[in-house]
Amino acid sequence: MTKRISTQRTFSGVSRRSFLAGTGAVAAGLTFSGKGFAAEEKVLNFYNWDTYIGETTLDDFEGETGVKVNMDLFADNDELFAKLKAGNPGYDVIVPTNDYVERMIAADMLVKLDHAKIANIKNVDPSFLNPAFDPGRVYSLPYMWGSIGIGYRKSRVKSVPDSWKVLYDSDEYAGKIALLAAPSTVLQIGCKYLGHPLNESDPAVLEKVADMLIKQKPNIKVFAEDNGQDLLLSGEVDLTMEWNGDILQVMAEDDDISYAVPKEGGLLWEDTLCIPTGAPHPENAHAFINYILDAKAGAAIADFIQYATPNAAAKALMSDEYRNNPAIFPTDDVIKNSETAIYQGTDYTQLVDRLWTKIGAA
Amino acid sequence: MEDWRRGRSAFWLIGLGPTVWLVLFFLLPLTIVWLYSFAELRGVVDMEVTGTLSNYARALDPLYLEVFGKSLVFAGITTGVSLVVGFPVALAIVFATPRWRPVLLLLVILPFWTNLLIRTYALIAVLRVRGFANFTLEWFWEQSTTLLSLLGLGSYQLLGERFEPLELLYNNTAVIIGLVYVHLPFMVLPLYAALEKLDRSLIEAALDLGASQWRAFLTVVVPLSMPGIISGAILVFIPALGSFLTPDLLGGTDSQMIANVIERQFKSANDWPFGAALSFLLMYLTFAALALRAVFARNAGGL
Amino acid sequence: MARTPIGPLEYTRRTWMRLTLLATFVFLYAPIVTLVAFSFNDSRRNIVWRGFTTKYYEKALGNSDLIEAFVNSLTIALLSTVIATVLGALTALLLWRFRFPFKAGYEGAMALPIVIPEICMGVAMLAFFAKVGWPSGLPWPLSLSAIIIAHVSFSFPFVAVVVRARLAGFNQELAEAAQDLGASEWRVFWDVMVPFMRPGLVAGALLAFTLSLDDFVITFFTSGPDTVTFPVKVYSMVRFSVTPEVNAASTVLIVLTVVLTGIALWMQFRQEKKSS
Repeated sequence: MTKRISTQRTFSGVSRRSFLAGTGAVAAGLTFSGKGFAAEEKVLNFYNWDTYIGETTLDDFEGETGVKVNMDLFADNDELFAKLKAGNPGYDVIVPTNDYVERMIAADMLVKLDHAKIANIKNVDPSFLNPAFDPGRVYSLPYMWGSIGIGYRKSRVKSVPDSWKVLYDSDEYAGKIALLAAPSTVLQIGCKYLGHPLNESDPAVLEKVADMLIKQKPNIKVFAEDNGQDLLLSGEVDLTMEWNGDILQVMAEDDDISYAVPKEGGLLWEDTLCIPTGAPHPENAHAFINYILDAKAGAAIADFIQYATPNAAAKALMSDEYRNNPAIFPTDDVIKNSETAIYQGTDYTQLVDRLWTKIGAA
Repeated sequence: MEDWRRGRSAFWLIGLGPTVWLVLFFLLPLTIVWLYSFAELRGVVDMEVTGTLSNYARALDPLYLEVFGKSLVFAGITTGVSLVVGFPVALAIVFATPRWRPVLLLLVILPFWTNLLIRTYALIAVLRVRGFANFTLEWFWEQSTTLLSLLGLGSYQLLGERFEPLELLYNNTAVIIGLVYVHLPFMVLPLYAALEKLDRSLIEAALDLGASQWRAFLTVVVPLSMPGIISGAILVFIPALGSFLTPDLLGGTDSQMIANVIERQFKSANDWPFGAALSFLLMYLTFAALALRAVFARNAGGL
Repeated sequence: MARTPIGPLEYTRRTWMRLTLLATFVFLYAPIVTLVAFSFNDSRRNIVWRGFTTKYYEKALGNSDLIEAFVNSLTIALLSTVIATVLGALTALLLWRFRFPFKAGYEGAMALPIVIPEICMGVAMLAFFAKVGWPSGLPWPLSLSAIIIAHVSFSFPFVAVVVRARLAGFNQELAEAAQDLGASEWRVFWDVMVPFMRPGLVAGALLAFTLSLDDFVITFFTSGPDTVTFPVKVYSMVRFSVTPEVNAASTVLIVLTVVLTGIALWMQFRQEKKSS
């Protein structure tokens, strides 16, 4: 899912500028390794989505703790997972989405968090403290959350698209609609449209959804590589399935674009902060997560990236405009009808991929 | 060519570095993936090499064979179009004045030095509904409509009431255009190399003997440039067969190629053994194409 | 000025030929021109023209991540090109000069990096470096070592192909004459073979450089926390929105490669003039 709201990030990487300093730090790290916080070199490797952090957050953190943050970028959860699967190449904090947290827990890829070192857990909205994918928040803490829905061009639709039908099962906007090129999400929403649970794993139902999509294929312009908002903005399509944050982006640039979550409900997602197994700087990682959950720091991030924050203390500091925006915070109705995706194991992923291949080949 | 035993020290001196590198940093990593293709998934990340052939059995399912077939068709059409477009270009370069030749050659290679992804995005900016191809067409449309109204034919609206932009993106044609765009230099360069060596007196002789230009082209130029045509075709066909970025970014709902399926196995489907099996099948297919070339080359040599 | 009539073989002077050439170049360059033009466009979205600006160049040059990625990419490309050129030239010499057992197999293995799907090679490299426990967090530029190794592996066979094609035209008697005149094997190699191979080496090196600079997939799988390269950075930037900043950075890259190639070609041209 796309994360951004870009002007320009201002943080700096290590490399040449502090090459000598880095060498010194490595030497120091070798000498004192394993002696706790004081001995850990003042570096943190953060693996994040692009433009998904406050403008000055990393610098502020460095100012407060002296820890220099290197941020590297991944474009989707699959990339993150593939990259860490064979072993952690040195990341300290990562930002996986809920179902991938589950997958990574199952694969023993995450470290248990030491809540004693993260005092700012108290700022987190209590409703986020015991999710099904990580009961008791043993491995993950919430970063941002949101919904999936339909982004559309107001002047080109007859009425607000209040059902997934317009995308999945209708030729009303033939040739002017896009779905995401995200196999499991597309099939899950299809299940939802047909009145099944989001995480329906019955192959017969999934086959039915795939057949519906094959029938609908001539009406779909493209399975968008997460650039639905650009297609919408450039007039390539009039309706697209997208993550709320992406549509919010282009809504700011074009008044004619809007966002709605259909009445069948959709998928709620939550991005989390985790420490991957083998992280070289776990102490710094805890300090960093604690810093992000700080009320002010959290508000600065939310203000810049315009996603829904689960940080109640930070939310309280935000403007009404942010807090009452239904494209940021889904309405209670939407929340009631929506579900979160759960990780369902290898057989399910293989089936989904096979169906996706079939849809593409049909 | 000398036997390696006659110059052992030179042989080892020359051969050791590249061989060690190839074995250590290429064949060894590749072997890991090759072993994966005989592995079974155990849990989320673990794989166990059991020697199973089930991954290959799955890959030979008609569904995947169909995708293989479609990729072959895409790559084949791309090769054909590149040949038709590339041949006159290569010919023009060869027969240009010596001063122009390197310049024209450089102009052909230059786009190829821009990042593939950026080039593809640039192509999107040209082809999309509100892109330059359509802007240009719209301009022509407006000029012609103005002209028509000047001629007093405006009221008939011969060219339609308003300009309807062409939908150039997100279909199979866009994928072919993209693939040709990306691979054209690979076709032009070998053609150029082959045509440059061509003995021009042969064409002159054909023309003197009364052959038309077209006939001289078909009976003299084409057969003599066959090696260039074949290597160009190979150099376009192989990478086109394995491309996934172009169908991903330019294709519509019908443009899935085998490399897209392979990529998914290593990412969203998280099924490395199957992805490895599909990769190796693709490589075997490529080798078959290369073997075919060897047969062709032998036949051509025998003539 | 009196124009000579078009001769039967002067294809390039024929109108239809020129039109074909023009059409092809329009096809090849329209996207590049668009890309460069939009780097000066005063709008965040690359859709309509909103006026001239150079602010995206300032932005791109002020974006320390982008610069860092840029420097990383160039460093990787330079180092891997040097290694790949040496290894590729040696491979070409080996295959050209010697007959040895299993040579066909050796050639086949050499062709593998050319035909393997990128993603497969990327995963192979990822698995390999993870299995051998390649150290991470090394100081720059050692932190780039894994990427450089991977780049050399996929580019040196290309160099070998190009250099070998050049060697096919070598007159063996030249080397033998030098040897008869008492030159050692090393002198023959350095004073006769290398100068002869030079155009092939230049072409091969250019190819290796481009391949390295262009690669995204394999780099992604071999990069670590502090080794973002230009294509990886651009990939994430364009996936999140195609900003003119990316166009500006790519324009800089295009200009840079054009200048570098121009210099290389000019040097080669001068060399050839001198030797002839």
